[in-house]
Amino acid sequence: MIGILLAKFKLFLRSPGTFVIFTAMSIGFAFLLSGAGGMTSFQVPAYATEEKIRDSYIGEQLEEVNALSLQWMSEAEMVEQIANGKAEVGVVLGEDSFKVIVGVDSPNVTMIEQSIRDIYKKKHQLEQLVGQLQDTEMDIQQVMRSPIFSIQTGSFRSSDAVVYDSSYQALFGFTLFFVIYTIAYNVLPILIEKKEGVWDRVILSPVRKWEMYVANLIYSFITGYLQILIIFFVFRYLVGVDFNGNFFITLGLLIPYVFAIVSLSVVITAIVKNVQQFNAVIPIVAVSMAMIGGAYWPLEIVESKVILTLSKVNPLTYGMEVLNGFAIYGYSVEELLFPISILVMMGVLLMGLGIHLMERRHV
Amino acid sequence: MIELVELTKKFKQIHAVKNVSMFIEKGEIVGLLGPNGAGKSTAISMLSSLMEPTGGDVRYLNKSMLKNPAPLRKVTGMVPQEIALYTELTAEENLRFFGRLYRLRGTELNKKIDEVLEQIGLTDRRKEVVNKFSGGMKRRLNIGVAMLHDPELLIMDEPTVGIDPQSRNYILETVKRLNSEKQMTVLYTSHYMEEVEYLCDRIYILDKGNLIASGTQEQIKSILSTEKTILVQANRLTDEFVNAIKTNPTVNRIIVGEMEITIIVPKEVNIFSWLIKLAEESGLELSSVNIKTPTLEDVFLHLTGRALRD
Ligand SMILES: Nc1ncnc2c1ncn2[C@@H]1O[C@H](COP(=O)(O)OP(=O)(O)O)[C@@H](O)[C@H]1O
Ligand SMILES: [Mg+2]
Repeated sequence: MIGILLAKFKLFLRSPGTFVIFTAMSIGFAFLLSGAGGMTSFQVPAYATEEKIRDSYIGEQLEEVNALSLQWMSEAEMVEQIANGKAEVGVVLGEDSFKVIVGVDSPNVTMIEQSIRDIYKKKHQLEQLVGQLQDTEMDIQQVMRSPIFSIQTGSFRSSDAVVYDSSYQALFGFTLFFVIYTIAYNVLPILIEKKEGVWDRVILSPVRKWEMYVANLIYSFITGYLQILIIFFVFRYLVGVDFNGNFFITLGLLIPYVFAIVSLSVVITAIVKNVQQFNAVIPIVAVSMAMIGGAYWPLEIVESKVILTLSKVNPLTYGMEVLNGFAIYGYSVEELLFPISILVMMGVLLMGLGIHLMERRHV
Repeated sequence: MIELVELTKKFKQIHAVKNVSMFIEKGEIVGLLGPNGAGKSTAISMLSSLMEPTGGDVRYLNKSMLKNPAPLRKVTGMVPQEIALYTELTAEENLRFFGRLYRLRGTELNKKIDEVLEQIGLTDRRKEVVNKFSGGMKRRLNIGVAMLHDPELLIMDEPTVGIDPQSRNYILETVKRLNSEKQMTVLYTSHYMEEVEYLCDRIYILDKGNLIASGTQEQIKSILSTEKTILVQANRLTDEFVNAIKTNPTVNRIIVGEMEITIIVPKEVNIFSWLIKLAEESGLELSSVNIKTPTLEDVFLHLTGRALRD
């Protein structure tokens, strides 16, 4: 088995082209679409209309936002910084509303606005809940849905556009998307080697068939995982993304996803008749999984019932859920156990099905 | 040593091998001859335990190998019809990889690799990537890989398909040498009757899944002892000429080529002078009329009414 693995890696090193291309594409797309550097903490001049806001709920919550680092100053100082181009954007924080002053329009503006908006929304919901305890007549759903605070926008593009943390979104989305190709194309040799008779040679040798499967699948897993590691290391140490302070746990959380995709690739390889079919099927599978699973855009903005239902059987959905949950929303690993177990389960089921199909077709 | 007993294989649509019985004795070169699609590969896949038969048995040293093929696998080397190699690795790396599968290690493995490279004549090219090899060299390495574990029986599935005559001769000589020097038993599958005729002690002829003849070359050719084969060559052929031969009641079989006709007639019939007269009447110029010594090709023609190669 070790011998098979070694041969596989020798082959890998001899033609690493595809691997390099897909890794570079993931990094490139994630970098471009995340607005380059948007994930490092962003210095924002801030002015509070009342001194106490700094130490109130709003101020405290804003300090917690990793992507933002507020620099308190007077309104005049802030305006000057923006005018001089020292800052792209500034925020004016009031008790119940806030204002974003935009100097240079950039994706960061959206990100900043969204972060602050979320905090104000939470504050109002809390207040509303407190109020509701006193006035039980009120429908809590009503409260949650109705706009309960006002936002004053300065020079904003569109204040009601759905915004999201585009930085992590792009990184996670494109990583999970492109790794499908890398893994699938490293499972494909099983099909080719079976066709050409290399597998027959192994079967006739004292090496057991399961060893051949295990070696091949470990190899596919490692190449897929290696690609993700390279991408994440680039973003962690070259770009400076902090992954919610828990980089290595984030890496660990990717294992179930990679496993599920290896299994999925086995099923696809078992079903297609030849390499041409495989080449045709893989992009369709990968792209539709990415679209349905929220790799290109967040599932939160999707309204179609069909797509939302389909997303439930898509490993990529759960992969994104785990990564987003951990790195953006700060869930603990225990809280993510559900999507993790689904990925593991998908992996086990698909692997069983795939190998069964392969074996049945061979005889 | 090895026996196939009424071996049968049915695929969904095709009955690929029908009740085929064969045996191979130690030290023999046995030929399995048949046109494309005859069922040769299917038969040897079952023999080598890569495919489960629908019916029948494979026996080695008088034991059935269907349930537990391990003893048979240990002594057989399989040369598949396709080039089953890692084409991005070098010749030596391929041998090393497959040698390790057979649990060879260290100096033992190195010695074996050198020996096999020598046998297949690729010692100078050992460090070259298989991709860069000619068809003949790939074929030779394909054979070499099957010899790493010193098999007693070498099963070769059309090992000379699609290569130049020189490489082909080299392979045929190698097979002969392995047989005479190392007493290797060989089952040689081909649709080239010259190869089988040249190499093999005994021959099985397979067509559409049926064994249609078997025995030594003399035995098989004696099937034709009551008939003779006449080869007629002319500058051109006309329909009139061909039809006249076809409708001659004494002619058993006829196969028409571009500028030649093969005619099979009973031994006692003499149609020589008739043929020459016919050619004159049709305005043809005959370049030669020969009575051939029968070949396996003729036997196949006699038995099936078709040429071995289309
Ligand atoms: N796995 C398979 N499934 C279905 N039909 C097959 C399979 N393998 C071979 N056949 C059919 O069985 C027949 C014999 O094939 P094969 O043994 O490869 O012939 P040969 O080796 O003599 O050219 C052919 O008609 C072929 O199409
Ligand atoms: Mg064949």
